[in-house]
Amino acid sequence: MRALRFSRKQLGIPYALFLLLFVVAPLFVIIYYAFTNGEGQFTIANLQGFFTDPNTIGTLFYSFMLAVVTTVVCLLLAYPIAYVLARSNIRHKSVIVMIFVLPMWINFTLRITALKEILTIIEGNLAFHPFLNSVIGMTYDFLPFMILPMYTTLSKLDNSLLEAANDLGASPLQTFIKVTLPLSVPGIVSGVVMVFLPSMTNYVVLDMLYNSTYIMGSLIGSYFSAYDWHNGSMIALVLLLIILIFTLFTNRYEEDGSKSRGGAIL
Amino acid sequence: MKYNRLKKLSKTMAILMIVAILASLFATPAKQKATSLAKDDVIKLRVCNWEEYIDLGEWEEDELIELDNGVSILGENTMMDDFCDWYYETYGQKVEIEYSCFGTNEELYNQLTLGDTYDLVCPSEYMIMKLMSEKKLQPLSDGFFDASDENNYYIKGVSPYIREAFETNEINGEPWSQYAAGYMWGVTGIVYDPDAMTAEDASTWSVFNNPDYFRRITIKDNVRDSYFAALGALKAEKLLSEEFRNAPDYSQQLAKEMNDVSEETVAAAQDLLQDFRDNVYAFETDSGKADIVSGKIAANYQWSGDAVYSMDLAEEDDVYLEFAVPKECTNLWFDGWVMLKDGIKGDAAKQHVAEAFINYLSMPENAVRNMYYIGYTSVISGGEDDTIFQYACYNYSADEDAEEVVQYPLGFFFTLDNEDEAYIIEADIEQTRRQLYAQYPPQDVLERSAIMQYFDEQESKDANQMWINVRCFNIKDVKVSTWLLIAAVLCGVIAVITKVKADRYRE
Repeated sequence: MRALRFSRKQLGIPYALFLLLFVVAPLFVIIYYAFTNGEGQFTIANLQGFFTDPNTIGTLFYSFMLAVVTTVVCLLLAYPIAYVLARSNIRHKSVIVMIFVLPMWINFTLRITALKEILTIIEGNLAFHPFLNSVIGMTYDFLPFMILPMYTTLSKLDNSLLEAANDLGASPLQTFIKVTLPLSVPGIVSGVVMVFLPSMTNYVVLDMLYNSTYIMGSLIGSYFSAYDWHNGSMIALVLLLIILIFTLFTNRYEEDGSKSRGGAIL
Repeated sequence: MKYNRLKKLSKTMAILMIVAILASLFATPAKQKATSLAKDDVIKLRVCNWEEYIDLGEWEEDELIELDNGVSILGENTMMDDFCDWYYETYGQKVEIEYSCFGTNEELYNQLTLGDTYDLVCPSEYMIMKLMSEKKLQPLSDGFFDASDENNYYIKGVSPYIREAFETNEINGEPWSQYAAGYMWGVTGIVYDPDAMTAEDASTWSVFNNPDYFRRITIKDNVRDSYFAALGALKAEKLLSEEFRNAPDYSQQLAKEMNDVSEETVAAAQDLLQDFRDNVYAFETDSGKADIVSGKIAANYQWSGDAVYSMDLAEEDDVYLEFAVPKECTNLWFDGWVMLKDGIKGDAAKQHVAEAFINYLSMPENAVRNMYYIGYTSVISGGEDDTIFQYACYNYSADEDAEEVVQYPLGFFFTLDNEDEAYIIEADIEQTRRQLYAQYPPQDVLERSAIMQYFDEQESKDANQMWINVRCFNIKDVKVSTWLLIAAVLCGVIAVITKVKADRYRE
């Protein structure tokens, strides 16, 4: 049996190969296309185009607003429920958590189609509130990703800290603001990352809910379907950089709060 | 006890697993061997077609179509399987079809440029033109046009109207007919709910910015169809003028107007499409078919084949939709079979199979099967064989209890002579606004139809840019109050962060 024993490094090889083939290699293709023109010559015109074209700026703004609003709505909905779940003494808590995860097991196009019908009954005509509908659709889609990391962080919260705050004369509100909230920051941050980034590009939700305005994902798709790989790749690349900066920024906050990262349950 | 039983079960399962793995190892090579042995005498044809665009068989028994000329039609197997059997019986050669599908013309084109090889594909007319101009197509052989060969169903049966269109339209001096054989055809128009929209309102391209239907009509989510609609609305006055209509070269002039991609026209179309955007329910590719049936919208821009589908679907729920072709003009479109040089590679035997496949689809009974299955109109009129006309009668001849019956001439499509008395359907008057009208548009509609050419590289770039301009959010549209709100939120966030930092510093 000794022959079957791998060193830790060797165990990483399959994933490294996967990474190389499906993540790193395509990335280089994107970089190549982003910095070349139709004739294959090096150019930075695409990069300049990104920041001077009112379309990309407008779309970036719109996607950003959509993502921010979705994230805030998710946060406001998810925090209280995660808090109640984590702090209460209900038995079989995991079953209740399961109920929140359950929708994720149903294909999301199916869920959005159902949502479309429900919203049509409520609003009468979906076309009057495209932005609102998109926010509702995204929230519906991404809410579990917000609840779970916050639930994990909050349930790991050390009770003795709350008791200490109480003993030292803090009101429940003060305890919450001074103790619970700061300690739940890591959960909040990882929830925000998980909701914010995909909601900037998930244009299928917009398509299905009849929002005709492009977001970043649909803009890239539009360039690609017109055989313009160069501008499309540049947008993808800049988006990647924005996301990278965003992640570095939030990582710092996560480390600030606690070493343990939320979302372990996922 | 329990422990032992579980252990036993686990052992049995492990053994079964090993047996299954071994069996699968032995089973696979055997199969491969069979194909490799037969490789020499089986010709494989790689076909790529639109999704849901061919009869896949498995009809219920009650779907049997019994025509008055004694022909009964029922799709049992897929068209591809039936073809392989037919080819073996007719030519004594085994063939195999590798069938795949594409979703849009652009997707197909991308697949071709990325190195996927097919032998026979079925794009729309403008993509055929593009492929022709890029010299990617294999011309049809002379044998294909030999009407004396009884198996040449295409040339024997293609509608003279379609044939003329394929022979008069040229790319680089070569007619389409040299490379392409038609499959399905139609026009574009508006499917509408007569309870929610009048026929008059539906019969113009300006319906998309008609405020009476604010947020209750959908337009196509692709630049070509939407641009055509915008051009129709922009040039309405000219297109409808008596002078233009009665000009001797009306058809050519119309085609010229509807293929206008000059800078000013594109800019004007962009403004108009922005108005459309602010008035319509949505840009859609597929959802409109269902949304008009469920009543979410009053009208839907549609290709005639999908219009038939929508109307059929709605009738199941006792909703009767109608189809209108805008009075300004309409877009005449075709989907056709073309062979790719890269796939055929000069292999005459393979080319014969590809051409036989087109002929097989053009067999009147098979054309009916496809029409029944997908709802579009075949380019085949049948020639000597009257199966196609009988099928039209089977579908659209008025019932005995019809209130008003009209004579609906189809001669234009079948013989180019609309007066031809052999091709007149006695149809319920309602059918002149419904499926019959969409499936076989009358002569006056076809007279105001224009074929849209392909855009060359620069034109398609301009058109795409226009489309992006229409669809993207304009940052200038943000209201001052919104900007102030954003500023307030930003200030709030910064305030909180600095407060937290300050508190921490104090500690």
